[in-house]
Amino acid sequence: MSKNNDFLYRRPVEKAVMAGFLVILALVWSVPLVAAVVRGFAFNGWQNFSDVIFNDIGGISLIRTYFNSFVIALLHGFFVALVASLAGYGFAFFEFRGKEVAYFIVLVFLAVPATSILVPLFFITRELGLRDNYLAVALPEAALTLPFGVLLIRNYAEDIPRSLVEAAAMDGASNQRIYLEVFLPMCRPAIVNIIALSMMWSMQDFLFPSLFFSSKEMTTAAQAVLRFREYLGSTPDDIGRYNASLVLLAVPALLIVLFGLRFITSGLTAGGVKE
Amino acid sequence: MSDKKSLISKPRLRDIAFFFGPLIAFYAVFYLFSTGFLIFTSFQKISISLRKGTFIGWRNFELLLTDPNFINAVTNNLVFAAVSIIAGLTLGFVIAVALSTGRRGKTLLYAVFLLPTLMPLALIASVFRVLLESRFGGLNELLRSVGLEQMAMQWLIDPPLAYGVVVVLFINMIGLPIMYYTANLSAINTSVLEAAVMDGARTGRIMREILFPLMRGTHRTIILSTILMSFRAFDIVFFSTQGGPAGTTEITGTYVYRFSTSGTNVGYGSAAALVVMVVALLIAALQLFWTRKRS
Repeated sequence: MSKNNDFLYRRPVEKAVMAGFLVILALVWSVPLVAAVVRGFAFNGWQNFSDVIFNDIGGISLIRTYFNSFVIALLHGFFVALVASLAGYGFAFFEFRGKEVAYFIVLVFLAVPATSILVPLFFITRELGLRDNYLAVALPEAALTLPFGVLLIRNYAEDIPRSLVEAAAMDGASNQRIYLEVFLPMCRPAIVNIIALSMMWSMQDFLFPSLFFSSKEMTTAAQAVLRFREYLGSTPDDIGRYNASLVLLAVPALLIVLFGLRFITSGLTAGGVKE
Repeated sequence: MSDKKSLISKPRLRDIAFFFGPLIAFYAVFYLFSTGFLIFTSFQKISISLRKGTFIGWRNFELLLTDPNFINAVTNNLVFAAVSIIAGLTLGFVIAVALSTGRRGKTLLYAVFLLPTLMPLALIASVFRVLLESRFGGLNELLRSVGLEQMAMQWLIDPPLAYGVVVVLFINMIGLPIMYYTANLSAINTSVLEAAVMDGARTGRIMREILFPLMRGTHRTIILSTILMSFRAFDIVFFSTQGGPAGTTEITGTYVYRFSTSGTNVGYGSAAALVVMVVALLIAALQLFWTRKRS
């Protein structure tokens, strides 16, 4: 984004064509968003929005779904940052036999689709008694993000000057202290990136909450998309409110994407793999 | 020198346990145990309670691989992936190049193209759904209000139209290719381009003959990650058409979901999950192998 390729279009005609192309496409891309907002005002105007904010819908409070989504996003980010930074340190600095094979095995699991492990997750969640517990969602989410997290942190850690780490080791610092006092501060950009990505992926996750939360209290924003549809089904009056609820349910994800856009894009492109 | 290095690089067992223990614990539970459990249940007829299954050998796999709906789901998966890839390599590429100029407002445009990819897919697909609903949907109401009633269609019910809707949704998710191209466009050597511009080459030609071939590595990354993404695109289909009408738009994600979460035999769902997972892992291995060789 930083570099300027202006010299590509010095002819005014080309400039105009490119600008027109971009603006028209951007308008097309905005249609669904604009439509949802406009339809959110259908029949009752602002009333639709205040209705869904202040009244529970089918026993679910919209504000409560924000809270649940953020708690899960934070837990997810925390687990991934902690576990991936520890393993990233090991992969970057330790030498042992079979290290690259182990690393390959760790990375290859980034392909596992969430839908493929649902049956075992039912079993694990039940046996650990985690139903309707934030961990039932945050832990499997973290497991799915970890391969990418390890990749991101190790890539970044390989660029840390060895001399810094070796100097600390010469002074008699343990690996644990080097990790805390040298490694973590130096890897901060990569850790911020992976936390932003984890939080975004949590906001996108509909599957795990919908399967492991049955209590209305626990409903997340993504999960509410379906629950609200069931309650605000078909009457024209409700369509305005359903659209209003869709717009409002986008708020937590929108906040994370807009405030974290820089970290999300640099994290995704630095990784170069995963969705 | 070698002595100094060994201070950190020769880890003791305690250090290995400390740094890799948590990762190993996660993998042991969520990947190792899960895969084992999937294999175990895929040879059984077993209810969702996951108790008292009966072993039935390869029966689930035989049924799966001869089920036309599963074959259809796999085919759709590949078709939708191909659509995303083509859209990414053409439209995504052109958008990224156009955005790489220092025009005002480009951050806003960038965000507009990225948002559908970064927002919850459940939400994006639901917005499409309410827009296209036949009775009170925004599109049909608009068409009726301007007197084009004959163009108001059953967008989500008519099979070819529903298929088209899902295709449009996949094209809508063009953010990732744009991101990759943008990152790599800012890293290329501009002297080649400047020389071409000096020689009087037009923008279209520069894009086709210089920029596009230069991005070969990026194309490959996009192709492979898009295929992998298509295995995870459960929400897109589930929230727009639910795989319907009558399985027309089913993909592997919705198929596996359906048989893993309901019905009297989740052993069958496990078999489907296992097959899809193995294919996804093979593609990921291919991708890692290629990127490794490049670097």
